[in-house]
Amino acid sequence: MQQAYRYAVLYFLLFSLLLLGSSLLLFEDKIGLSVSGVLEYYLGNEDKFLVEKSWLTIVKIILPHIFAFGLFFMVVLHFLLFTKHRTSKQFIKLSYAIFFVGFLELFSPYFIIMGLDFFAYLKLISFILLELLVLYTLWLLLASIYKH
Amino acid sequence: MRFTLIKDLKEDMAMKPLLNGLLVFMVLYFIADFFVVNATLGLLGEDIKMTLFGNIDEFIDPMDKSVFLEYLHGQIFFIMMILLTLSTVYARLCSIKRYSIIVINILMISALLSLVTLFVSYFYIPNILGIYVISFFIWHIMAFIMALHSLWNLNFATSI
Repeated sequence: MQQAYRYAVLYFLLFSLLLLGSSLLLFEDKIGLSVSGVLEYYLGNEDKFLVEKSWLTIVKIILPHIFAFGLFFMVVLHFLLFTKHRTSKQFIKLSYAIFFVGFLELFSPYFIIMGLDFFAYLKLISFILLELLVLYTLWLLLASIYKH
Repeated sequence: MRFTLIKDLKEDMAMKPLLNGLLVFMVLYFIADFFVVNATLGLLGEDIKMTLFGNIDEFIDPMDKSVFLEYLHGQIFFIMMILLTLSTVYARLCSIKRYSIIVINILMISALLSLVTLFVSYFYIPNILGIYVISFFIWHIMAFIMALHSLWNLNFATSI
């Protein structure tokens, strides 16, 4: 990879870290990193004046994220094609895992408002797992750039 | 990113109009962004301070924490995507390799600095808003010049 492109990718990784950090802060601020927090956010709480989320409210929240997740995952993962990982099975597994966990993260709130409280665990786990998987991908890319 | 692999972009009748379109839209985006930021957050120190922290005398409420985090989160995503695209186009179209690396570094560092200083000034040190304003203007002007330079090279340079 040409040196100028390598710089562009390196800075993209730094921006990605900021994006992950801001998403963590946002999740913690709006929902909270606990199962009770997730349930309260989606099902509401009269004592805290929290209104139950409707089907449409959730669509409005996830709509920009559906596009942004797809684009961001594709861009980050496609950089791995320029590294030694492009032919490894790990690359395929990582790609499937990131898109699948991203899907669960986006759509698990629907099951929560249907009354399946168990999906609050899934929402929380998928969010944390997604952050870790993207971090791992960023680490693989950073290590490849550093080696060159 | 196919344009990074094409040997002579001037001869490529398919890729040249696509890149022209992309660069013109980028120039328009950077101009429009000034107006949008001016209307939402403010462009200069005092305006931004009033939006973020409010003003009791003028009955202006401070910006809510979750609203600020949503704004910052959206900004990070947009900036990272547009600057990655612009940098790769510029690296391909700018003939002097060393010069392009310096320009990309200035662009990216100032953009990162603007986001970090905005975050730090909201939560910890309001006095560094000046650094945010300077870095914001630097990356916008740099990006604007890079897009125009790329457009020039794509259409008027002898070989790219």
